[in-house]
Amino acid sequence: MFGESDYSFCYDSEEVSIRIDPSDGFYQYSRKSGDEEIRKVISGGSRKIVVNPVEPVNLPREVTRFLEVHFTPVAIEPDSSETVFITFPVEIGVFLESKGDFDVLDIFTLSRPKYSLYGPPEEGVITRYHESAVSGTIPEVDWLKEGVIALSISNASRNWVEVSRAVFDCSSLFLYYGDCVSLVARMNILSRDIADVRSEDRPLSDGMKPSVLVIKARKTLIPDKIPFMMEFGVGD
Amino acid sequence: MVALDTVVFGTVTVLDLIVFAISVVIIIIVARIIAIYLKRALSDRMERGELDKLVKVVQIVIIIFGIWFALPSFDVDIGQLLVVGGTLGLIIAFASQKIVSNLGSGIFLLIERPVKIGDTIQIGDVEGTVNQIRILSTIVKTYEGIYVRIPNEQVFSSDITNFVANPARRFEYLVSIGYGDDAGKAVRVIRNLLEDHPFVLKNPAPSIFVSELGDSGVQLTIYIWAPSRVWWSVRTELLQKIKEALDREGIEIPFPQRVVTMAGVKNRGTGQGER
Repeated sequence: MFGESDYSFCYDSEEVSIRIDPSDGFYQYSRKSGDEEIRKVISGGSRKIVVNPVEPVNLPREVTRFLEVHFTPVAIEPDSSETVFITFPVEIGVFLESKGDFDVLDIFTLSRPKYSLYGPPEEGVITRYHESAVSGTIPEVDWLKEGVIALSISNASRNWVEVSRAVFDCSSLFLYYGDCVSLVARMNILSRDIADVRSEDRPLSDGMKPSVLVIKARKTLIPDKIPFMMEFGVGD
Repeated sequence: MVALDTVVFGTVTVLDLIVFAISVVIIIIVARIIAIYLKRALSDRMERGELDKLVKVVQIVIIIFGIWFALPSFDVDIGQLLVVGGTLGLIIAFASQKIVSNLGSGIFLLIERPVKIGDTIQIGDVEGTVNQIRILSTIVKTYEGIYVRIPNEQVFSSDITNFVANPARRFEYLVSIGYGDDAGKAVRVIRNLLEDHPFVLKNPAPSIFVSELGDSGVQLTIYIWAPSRVWWSVRTELLQKIKEALDREGIEIPFPQRVVTMAGVKNRGTGQGER
């Protein structure tokens, strides 16, 4: 499904069907997934579309830019590093492209969105919530629903730390797609309660392509690529 | 070449003019630096038009003060100017007391930031969404779509309730079920429904419990946390879904009812009084 295509693009599966048909001098984009059906008229133009995974914080409507992944607790020794593989929810963006300029045509997901709060109600942040198992190798996932995060956890503190959640700032995310949807990230634990989390601009394996992200297509002012500081704990 | 002590007019020499010009240039540079700093500091707190006005006012005040301090190079009698300026200042101050008060309140509001543009608030008796925060006033659009202008002095001295200052907020429902229904099952049905809703927060988790054994039914209290930006739509959507879910499971939401036992009238089946 993912990649660049012209208006002959068509995708049909049990869960989602996408097509673009000529209609009255224009083109009609239609998507059906579950009970949701969307139709949009698009002009001829360059007739290029891009379909790829995007930041999973847009649906059902945008209320946050943070993604929180809860996973099986991992105990990390002081002054050591460990790389674990966890999953994250995938949202799929359909973009119109013209001369390197992108416009968001549609965003949908085949996973069920759920939101949460990281931190206390008065100073925490709303997060898109996802639960994941932990594995030492790249897990098998349905890549239209879930992506894989290679999370490198470094414990710079003097104590054993049990990590069971990671919060990512999706305004500075780097997603790649190929054999799977991937995100490479680093978590640096500073103490039992504080860690910084950053996404790295590299694919999980060779040959993967970088995703066009919604934040870029909407030309939102992109903040500095600073790590997200998890100040309200890394465990349950 | 013109000597520096050459008199240009009155007692003003070329040197006086040069000193004055340099002073003014320095003042203008200082005013511009302060303007840039103000724009950076307040760009996310004020509308652009209002910010431009504020910056201009600050620049003019700085330049006036700067020229004031540069004037001695012309041997101007500051004493006389002070008398005239003081009198003028007094007249202006009386005339613009309210304006200055609103301006001061506006500046304090920008510093303290109890409300932001787009926030749902209550200021005094006015409830709605903040549309603009100006230097002298705050514009609120009420839920009925009415434009209300509140002077900043009033905003500053009123009780302000900001419904969306925190990222999440809690709301509650009270739902009654019949005495003949399984309260545990009702709680499970409602919990499943809440788990399926994307904006019912996972943490803090919703809380559902029997809170009262009422006259007409068993009362359940439901506490739900939702993102502040969407809490109202979640609140309006969920109650109907809860009712529909309970209906599907055959759980009754009872009408107010009273059991009346007639004294002396025997019930055929049970020998109890007739109801």
